[in-house]
Amino acid sequence: MTNVIVLAKQVFYTQDLRIDRTTKKLKTEGVARVISESDKNAIEEAVRLKEKHGGKITVLTLGPPEAKEALREAIAMGADEGYMLVGPEFENSDAHATAVALAAGIKKIGQFDMILCGETSEDQYSFQVGPRTAENLNLPQITYAVKVTLQDTKVAVERNLEDCYETVESTLPAFITVSREINEPRLPTLMAIMAASKKPMTAWTANDIGLKPSELGREGSLTEPLRSAVATGERKRVIIEGEPNETAQKLVTTLIAEGVVKVA
Amino acid sequence: MTTVEKHEGVWVFSESPTVARELLSKGRELSGKLGTHLAAIAVGEDVSETSKDLIAFGADKVYTVQNPSLKTFQVHPYTDALGAMMQDYRPDVVLVGATRSGLELAARLAERLKTGCCTECSKLDVDAEKKHVVVDRLILGGNITETLIVRSKPQIFTLPKGVIQPLSKDPGRTGEIVKVQPKTGESPVKVLERKPKQFAGVRITDAEAIVSFGRGLKKKEDIPIIEELAKTMNGVVGCSRPIAEDLKWLPVDQYVGLSGQKVAPKLYIACGISGQIQHITGIQNARVVVSVNTDSKAPIFEYTDYGVVGDLYKVIPALTEAFRQLSSRGK
Repeated sequence: MTNVIVLAKQVFYTQDLRIDRTTKKLKTEGVARVISESDKNAIEEAVRLKEKHGGKITVLTLGPPEAKEALREAIAMGADEGYMLVGPEFENSDAHATAVALAAGIKKIGQFDMILCGETSEDQYSFQVGPRTAENLNLPQITYAVKVTLQDTKVAVERNLEDCYETVESTLPAFITVSREINEPRLPTLMAIMAASKKPMTAWTANDIGLKPSELGREGSLTEPLRSAVATGERKRVIIEGEPNETAQKLVTTLIAEGVVKVA
Repeated sequence: MTTVEKHEGVWVFSESPTVARELLSKGRELSGKLGTHLAAIAVGEDVSETSKDLIAFGADKVYTVQNPSLKTFQVHPYTDALGAMMQDYRPDVVLVGATRSGLELAARLAERLKTGCCTECSKLDVDAEKKHVVVDRLILGGNITETLIVRSKPQIFTLPKGVIQPLSKDPGRTGEIVKVQPKTGESPVKVLERKPKQFAGVRITDAEAIVSFGRGLKKKEDIPIIEELAKTMNGVVGCSRPIAEDLKWLPVDQYVGLSGQKVAPKLYIACGISGQIQHITGIQNARVVVSVNTDSKAPIFEYTDYGVVGDLYKVIPALTEAFRQLSSRGK
């Protein structure tokens, strides 16, 4: 029996995000909200562990009311119940404030052997929330997992680093962040999606998890966004035309002039 | 957050000696603008050589932690050591190399110190008036650049590796060495095994030239067309995310993009890549980008220095031949 809490974030499907070239604004209308990719791998891993060892899977998310859909999807994949931290006080929380909230939510859920989440979120790409939450819970932290094996009261994890695969071992409870290579998340069946609506889902406010609004949101954050702008490339955008051989010659000459090609 | 005591100095840390040199280069610039000193942290079994190296590459001061149990990087004892040192010496700015180890360290350390951290900064500068660091980082799949500051101290930032040019080594430079012995706990996570990854030749993140392909390449059997060009330029083959993740024609370590490898070659040639922002974000540090695509409206051309509208099956072999002639002419 292994009880797992999975942290999952709902994000815009980033591959469908586009900049409107005339307004120079990000277009989000019509873009699907999905579970951030590696968080989905974390849910899948929890389901596989449950299939093998039994236990209960609880999913926790922080987000807007729409994030309820993420919980439903997680349950359809095989999680048992879902909790969401929702309310204006959570809005604009940075990695620190988010980790404070998640840690408080986890403490309120209570019993667990393992916490799983994705190594980073698709929208913020900060790689911070996992380790920060682990620190707040004073738990052993194992990042970038590509294989998780339970052995009684211990867990062995293979991690994907730049130069090597590292196998580590920790006692439980432990906090594990997973990489996308770990598994292929299942697509829930229509039956499962329908059944998921009947499973328990609970919404908590800051007050419910014992936090003051000042510990969350902009006020509770330790970083401060000053402004944001559409990312622009600063490339030359020169088009070279002609027959393939001619183009190739022109390109080579240009690249030598740029100093990026060595003349032997 | 307000603190009574003053935070001073720019500190750098990376468990990788090459990344530490890059951080020192950026650190020199920041410490100059902030009017403060630049310090580096050396952790390990024997840190005497590392310390000399850090000074030669720009550090005014090196805090050394000599401890056999800290020979290789482990996040828990390293967080203990760096956290304790920062509580004692109170740096103003801390730069950490954004390796996978560096990222998990920066986040855990920042939470321990209850301070803010910005990871993967694409730009880092100083607000001269307010005397704090202002950074840019990409969010929402690389579509948006967010400019932000850290409100607490120390201000922690991680910088991608391979982007900053290290200063040239000055063996005559002198600096102060401060020996410290911070208390570290035993790691709750034990390393059982390390299996080095096998890399055929140069790694994509170290490559000076990369030839990458996307869905414009019709079948796996055609990859040699790309490999040939890469070979003539002493380059490395890369690809877009669908090639590695969906089609699995190349290992995931070889795809370029925000969620894959972020590369910084002198020359990047994109063949049959449409130019999803996810991919573009991975090549923003390339010096020159060339792309070849049949669709003149492909977004890749917006992020290209020299574009060729044409069939990669014709253009790439022609380019390979042109490079070949170039190298044989030189001989």
